Amino acid sequence: MWIESIIEFVQGLSTGQILAYFWPFFLLDMTRYMLLDFIVIVFYMPKKYFKRREYALARKQLYKERPLVSVIVPGKNEGKHIPRLAESFNSQTYKNIELIIVDDGSDDDTATICRELERQGKIDCFIRNEVRGGKASAANTALKYSSGKYIVHIDADSHLAYDAIETILIPFFQDATIGAVGGDVRVANADKTFATRLQSIEYIKSISTGRTVSSELGILRIIAGAHGAFRRDVLDRLYGWDIGPGLDGDITLKIRKLGYKVVHEPMAICYTNVPVTFRRLSKQRFRWDRSMIRFRVRKHRDILLPSAEFSFSNFVASFENIFFNLVLDFKWWIYFVQIVIWNPEVLEYIFVINYVLYFLANVVEYSLACILLHNSLRRRDYLHYLFLPLIPLYTGLYLRIVRTYAYIMELLHGASYNDKWNPWKVSRVAKREKL
Amino acid sequence: MRQPYLVQTESDVKSVQGVSNVALADIENLDHDDVAFWLIDMALWQDGWKTICQIRRHLSPRVYLKPVVFLIHDSDMPKEIHQAADGHITASSIDVRVLEDWVSRVEHINQWVEHIANNDAPVDTNLAFKVLRLISSRAVELQPITTIRRSSGYVYPLLEPLFGKRDTGVMETLSFLHDQHLLNARHISKGHFCSHCGSAFLNFKESCTQCDSDDISANELLHHFKCAYTAEISEFKQGDQLQCPKCERELRHIGVDYDKPSMIYHCNQCSHSFQDPKIMTECYNCGRSSEPEHQQLRVIQAYSVSAIGQNAAEYGLEALFTNLLEKKLNLFSVNAFRDFFNIEASRIKRYGVSASTLVMINFDDLDQLYIRLGSKAQEVFSELSVIFKTVLRKSDVITAWNESIFFVIMTETNEAQAHRAVERLRDGVMALFKNNLDFAPKFTVSINTIDETMDLDKTLEAFMENHVD
Repeated sequence: MWIESIIEFVQGLSTGQILAYFWPFFLLDMTRYMLLDFIVIVFYMPKKYFKRREYALARKQLYKERPLVSVIVPGKNEGKHIPRLAESFNSQTYKNIELIIVDDGSDDDTATICRELERQGKIDCFIRNEVRGGKASAANTALKYSSGKYIVHIDADSHLAYDAIETILIPFFQDATIGAVGGDVRVANADKTFATRLQSIEYIKSISTGRTVSSELGILRIIAGAHGAFRRDVLDRLYGWDIGPGLDGDITLKIRKLGYKVVHEPMAICYTNVPVTFRRLSKQRFRWDRSMIRFRVRKHRDILLPSAEFSFSNFVASFENIFFNLVLDFKWWIYFVQIVIWNPEVLEYIFVINYVLYFLANVVEYSLACILLHNSLRRRDYLHYLFLPLIPLYTGLYLRIVRTYAYIMELLHGASYNDKWNPWKVSRVAKREKL
Repeated sequence: MRQPYLVQTESDVKSVQGVSNVALADIENLDHDDVAFWLIDMALWQDGWKTICQIRRHLSPRVYLKPVVFLIHDSDMPKEIHQAADGHITASSIDVRVLEDWVSRVEHINQWVEHIANNDAPVDTNLAFKVLRLISSRAVELQPITTIRRSSGYVYPLLEPLFGKRDTGVMETLSFLHDQHLLNARHISKGHFCSHCGSAFLNFKESCTQCDSDDISANELLHHFKCAYTAEISEFKQGDQLQCPKCERELRHIGVDYDKPSMIYHCNQCSHSFQDPKIMTECYNCGRSSEPEHQQLRVIQAYSVSAIGQNAAEYGLEALFTNLLEKKLNLFSVNAFRDFFNIEASRIKRYGVSASTLVMINFDDLDQLYIRLGSKAQEVFSELSVIFKTVLRKSDVITAWNESIFFVIMTETNEAQAHRAVERLRDGVMALFKNNLDFAPKFTVSINTIDETMDLDKTLEAFMENHVD
């Protein structure tokens, strides 16, 4: 009876009413995240097929040149993850790798574990910084003592697919103007909890598909810290990473500013452990979302302004990110107020219809991801379809609340400067210097 | 009253007012009861050193145990030589009063020498015994001192003239006497010694973990807070200032602008960077290199004479229980005992028809026994060894770990039979001591059946840990 009334309500809507009631979906989200993704993927797949010979040549060139690749892993109290990570390099198809671990002032047994692995030859270089300096300083320490022509930055709680190093390097041999390649990040502990399962769906949608699309459009704005490859000469020009949090997005923009291309390689797979509880997830996202304001709106606002170094693609990359994440985040609250004030009698219909629309959009997006990644997906990834009905709640409500709170706190209070993620001495300087 | 004698060598004929001269070759012929101490002129200390060496290496206890006093002219003499004598008198201050003072100061030594000379054979040929007597006669703790003149790094000055350059022999002899419970030891220090030549002069070097080269340099890492740039301090140095190569800011205050998170070593040979350098030791004497854990870790100890040692020093090593026992029974060395044990364990495993037992015996408070028995020790222990001989059979294998611990393999003897044998031993010991003293020594015994799984060393260690103080 209730469903019949909804159908009757929908049938009675004119085109103008549809746009008035559901403009966020039809004008913005569907266009950007569904249609655009669909169009790009439709072009990307055949392009990849037709470029297979070029890809094979690049691979051959990689093995002919066989450059040293430095895998750097900065981290604090990550000792328990390191043995598995070190093991994963034994089975890599590409072998000319040096593994450099930097312990950023751990207060557990990380140093003992890593020294033993170094003695066994499973780690090429282990450096312990007795005094914690933050992730950027640890990454820069690793960079300083690496010798590779390419630098792969990964997180300690991650491990790589057997061909990940080879796959992430090939784009460098396809295009000499590429400065950095982002690897795909999948969830290693997807089966652990309900929270990790939802994050797994999110990662496949937003990282695997979303970043492939951004990469194809030339507006990729982040190389994940969990898995990214960089040309050494590019990192040397930049003198490494700047203070975080959000140092991965920051360095990506800096590489773009130097005029290098930044691309995503969805088949270079890294599995990472994600927060297992919503509480921890909220903390993580609170940190990530604040960096959008701190870096894109504040530190790199010059990208948006006319100057001698103005680059249209950089402008779009930054603008798109700010518009769809920051500006449109607030549109939801406007939309909500609009419906409550002007159409309170149909509030429940609009809510249900919106939910169905976003659910269907998620099905389309997830199906696109499955088509794009079909070779690399595991069986469990297809079971995620069962959880798709919950994704509108997860992304549309839960993550949106966290994001909005993060934006407000950063805009009003500069909360990221008080984050314990960095040592207080570093945060104090960052705040003083308005970094 | 005894008087000092200035010992003259052929090349050095001098005299001191109020002191009789004696030629080194004639010191044996003196009436030693009349000698207070040997005075050695150290005008040329190398010659004086030769003289004291000859005295201490003399076989007669009346000669080598006599106190030696140096007549010092200047202070340019190595300290280990300086302290080798029982005392010294400076040439500028020597007079009758000083000499008389020294005569009285060394009188207790002379009395001890007189006492043992009455009990003993005219010559001491055993070096370890001479060491024991020398320490015992001085009634002092034998202290080591550090020196650069001996490769062992430590010397016991009193014993130096006895051994000369065979300095490692000193340590071995003291260790032997300690193992025999004749000396008590007190920890002084611990040190690494070359496992090849025994030298204490080892160069501990930080080396590259990859190529072992010691051509390495240490650099401090510097972290600039503002831009997170982290590199070696040399990259930041601009004259006297520190400037960040990344953001070109001047670094003024550590802890405010920057910190130093760690130290990195860099190998100048193979370019390897590392934090924990490999420690290597190189012997200055033989030149061999080795890791510290492969060098010999020795404990340097001060020694004093135990009650058993005091008894042995006075009445001779022949009076020791182990010596007496050795005469009555065939005492095997510990290594030979180990071989017998292994053969017995293998034999039992192969045939599996009989049992043998390992008996471990420890006499408690043996020191007290020696003190109480005094000169009767030899007599009593001789009878004790007869009891051992009566209880043990010719087929039994016995070894003495030291003066108070004995291990026996009782072949073809099960635990019950071994218990009976030990009871007989206990009864015999009790009866013997009851007749000689108002108390009997306690002794603890452990009996174990020998089988292939038994680890002899661990079993012996466990026994000593549980039953020996």
